[in-house]
Amino acid sequence: MISVQAAISRFRRDLTIGAVLRASLATGAVACLLVGPMVGAGYGGVLLLLAIVVVWTMLGYRSIQGSRLTADSPLLIASGRFDEAESRIDAALRSFSLFRPAKLLSLHHLALLRHAQRRWQESAQLCRALQRQRLGTLRGLGKPSTLVLADNLLHLGDLPGVFEAICRLYRQRLNLAEALTMMQIQTEYLACIGAFEPMLAQVWTKVQLAELMPPLPAARTQAFLALAAKKTGRIELSRWLRRRAEQLTDAPALVVERPILAELWPPPPQAGGNP
Amino acid sequence: MRIDVQTLLESSRPRPRLDWMAYLGVLAVAAVLGMSLLAERSGSAREDTESVASLIMVLVMAGMFLNTFLQTRAARLEHMRMELADELVQLRRWPQAAMLLQSMLSRPARSPIVRLQALLALCSVAARFHRFEDVTLITDQLLEEMPLDPMATHMIKLSRAMALLREDRLFDADRAISDLRHFSQARESGGLGLVEMYRDVKTGHPAEALEVFAAKRDLIRRQLGHRVADACVLAAKAHDLLGQTEQAGQAYAQATLMSPAVELHRRYPETADLANKYRATPAPSFNQSGATLEVVV
Repeated sequence: MISVQAAISRFRRDLTIGAVLRASLATGAVACLLVGPMVGAGYGGVLLLLAIVVVWTMLGYRSIQGSRLTADSPLLIASGRFDEAESRIDAALRSFSLFRPAKLLSLHHLALLRHAQRRWQESAQLCRALQRQRLGTLRGLGKPSTLVLADNLLHLGDLPGVFEAICRLYRQRLNLAEALTMMQIQTEYLACIGAFEPMLAQVWTKVQLAELMPPLPAARTQAFLALAAKKTGRIELSRWLRRRAEQLTDAPALVVERPILAELWPPPPQAGGNP
Repeated sequence: MRIDVQTLLESSRPRPRLDWMAYLGVLAVAAVLGMSLLAERSGSAREDTESVASLIMVLVMAGMFLNTFLQTRAARLEHMRMELADELVQLRRWPQAAMLLQSMLSRPARSPIVRLQALLALCSVAARFHRFEDVTLITDQLLEEMPLDPMATHMIKLSRAMALLREDRLFDADRAISDLRHFSQARESGGLGLVEMYRDVKTGHPAEALEVFAAKRDLIRRQLGHRVADACVLAAKAHDLLGQTEQAGQAYAQATLMSPAVELHRRYPETADLANKYRATPAPSFNQSGATLEVVV
């Protein structure tokens, strides 16, 4: 298994080497074009420039090969093939890349893998390492990375951290999938801080959005809304949402996963207890 | 929806693009080499040819950069449009999705993957507008010409089988379902269970439909989420056909708990008569702030 600290160190080192190499090649190319004719380098300058273009193209090709290694990682993670995903991400992190996006994507995929493996602390460290970087053309990666970070922090009980991440996401335009994940995290966060009334704002829209989620998150979100409805005295709504959640998953499994939901499904009274 | 699917299938086919930059690059290098040979022969023109060669190299590099930039931008734009179309389908904004997909598929796709995604989205839109012959056309063509992984093939075959059932092509549908059973993970497919239930209800075999429901209900709910309502409404119809009114009422209540009755009857017209026989689960209604007002039956 890849050590997170080692992965982050290697990632930073590779970014530095890539930047130095890019700068050297670019400086060399400019020197060939501008300085070469002045010092009378003749065709040596043009040939050197050609050599630089060839080196750049070859390194670029190697970088593309490296980024192809991790292209399937999200699919492998989603299908639970963690070992295969890990070996591909490891290979991509070890391979040389001239360009930043390949390395940034590999680190993001490693964060996703650790999140799927429920290694929240490690995943959070990777997300933070990624967000400290200038994402450039991959600035779209910032949103999924912040969502993963917020979910990790929620599992770690770092509620101020979750709040900060949610605030950051509110300042950005999210696509539908990101908005759905955000809604899940926000609903759970509000339940954790006991803000049940805000949870029910625009509840019908939230129910409709929950219908677009995969079964387990849909059940969880509706269960949290049911809890909020119960806490605020909307018993009919709470019962309706709870029954919908029950249709999507097994309630006991949901309670084991999120003990706060036990209030919706209280254990049956024990026979033979004290009157 | 006025969409000529056959035309879109043809117009969206990716076409090989002429890589002008590769030709220009080769030409530029040849020009530089040619000039260097020329300069070797006439020493007086050496400085001029050096300057021209440098200029050509600068132009080639700038051209390569511009070309890469434009191609990347076009690919990103296509990807964004596909993402938007997928969102419109998910949000059930069918007319907007249909228009966007039509405009996307009216020209050659840059990537076969995006074309596949767009055609699958078009299948959903066509099914929503009851254009099942179009669904069959698209799925047949995709299965014929695209190399797909087994899971994607299974999903497309499921759409095809459902469309054939809706078209009342029961013989073809039965063959399609037999074909689906050959899939290595057919036992683990909730979608196949749903198609089998619909076939059994349509052909008047309610007991078999209920057997499938009992065996695959958990799979359907795990894989299809809220679409478990579809299986419940078909189970309600099967119970109703067997005269088991109490069980039919329960299954109908479960179905309408998860999905509005109107939507279920639109998907499965054979179940429409259940609305007059059994009570749908009332959904709470909401005011604008989201607070419940009353129970609507």
